[in-house]
Amino acid sequence: MTTGTGTITTTRTTIRMNTEPATEDVLKLAQWFSPGFPVGAFAWSHGLEAALAEGRVVRGSVEAWLEGVLEDGAGRADAALLAAAYGSEGDALTEVDALARALAPSAERLAETVDQGTAFARTVSALWPDRAVSPMAYPVAVGRAAALHGLPLELTATMYVQAVIGNLVAVATRAVPLGQTEAQAMLARLTKRCEAVAQEAIAGGLDNLGTASFAADVAAMRHEGLYSRVFRS
Amino acid sequence: MSGALKLLFPQSRGPLQAMMVNSAGGLTGGDRFRLDAEAEVGAALSLTTQAAERAYRAQPDECAEVSVRLSAGAGACLYWLPQETILFQACALRRRLRVDLADDAKLLLCEPLVFGRTAMGEKLTEGWFSDRVEIFRDRQRAFTDATRLVGDIAAQLAGPATGAGCRASALVVYVAPDAEHQRDALRAALPDDALAGASLIAQDVMVARFLGPDGFGLRRLLMPALDRLSANTLPRSWRL
Repeated sequence: MTTGTGTITTTRTTIRMNTEPATEDVLKLAQWFSPGFPVGAFAWSHGLEAALAEGRVVRGSVEAWLEGVLEDGAGRADAALLAAAYGSEGDALTEVDALARALAPSAERLAETVDQGTAFARTVSALWPDRAVSPMAYPVAVGRAAALHGLPLELTATMYVQAVIGNLVAVATRAVPLGQTEAQAMLARLTKRCEAVAQEAIAGGLDNLGTASFAADVAAMRHEGLYSRVFRS
Repeated sequence: MSGALKLLFPQSRGPLQAMMVNSAGGLTGGDRFRLDAEAEVGAALSLTTQAAERAYRAQPDECAEVSVRLSAGAGACLYWLPQETILFQACALRRRLRVDLADDAKLLLCEPLVFGRTAMGEKLTEGWFSDRVEIFRDRQRAFTDATRLVGDIAAQLAGPATGAGCRASALVVYVAPDAEHQRDALRAALPDDALAGASLIAQDVMVARFLGPDGFGLRRLLMPALDRLSANTLPRSWRL
């Protein structure tokens, strides 16, 4: 009869709960989505400049306009694209990128997502060359980078959506114009919806992706013909 | 071809005209419609509907489905010009339209939508509509439009970024070498107060979006644009 002895060595294990992301993950996402991260978001108004110039959006309705973009426009659609990219690689990832580009309703909106995504991919690839991301539409590049860095999907999508809306609040602050406190109060109210929009978009997947932001799309098209322009979309 | 969907071929000049007739009078939960049409090499085909399509109230947990696949071969010309789809209160409709174009095929596509029976003052406080238009050229995805209207559609479309108070909307896609010229002509012809725009998303691909106060107001904006884009071969059913 043979006997054996076994040793159990306990090592320090980190258990990550979905509800409590690691601090290092939050800090990395905060860096990616800070206005200082060089994606050039400040240059794009997503059609808002045209809507303001034509008087279709005024100071009193700018928050409702942003809410439409968040709930029924690129906010929700981008969260679904980000989630699809997060779970894809190779040809499937290329297809998600092609879909993101094809969904752009105008030439400037296409440039808006591709330019920011290209700048984002360039920067994260320079900082972490072992986890390089190729140039893709902005939500697709972010989803891919988040997967490569092992970041939690829901938090990434929520913070991405908040960053997109936060940038448009900053655009409105300059273009309307709004007071700093007024603008931040607006962003605080809109932020309350970012998590739910991201969760619903992730749960719905690409098959349920869709928008109803017809007037914002028209504004983006009309921006191309605007006589005097500060923003690139 | 079978069931409630019939095709008529009225005499016309220009491309072959095919008119779709839904003899059931509308769409309701559980309906399944499927259409495949192809314009072969060098051919010209124009598809329209005899009347506006109605998406009726559906039973809970039921949904009407419409699936269309169109293709156009080398040098072919394809027009997809159905009349308005009217969404009724409590409708449930899932539509999928896929268009496959050979590299040099031409396309004119228009999908008009009316949110509720506006003449009766109907408000869409509940409904479900999922729509997708996908255009592929040489098997590469060239353009996709995805619309999602859920729940209190009237409230969803009340915002300045969504429906902006309009009760009708149309997507137009035009693929041809003169797309840039057509974009300029379309923009120049738009009334000053029109909530509509056009953009060139590729050298020969123009996308346009129109919003109108109701189905009639939308038509007034659309007809001159479609006349120009179709070289005055807009199907006769559009004029009735």
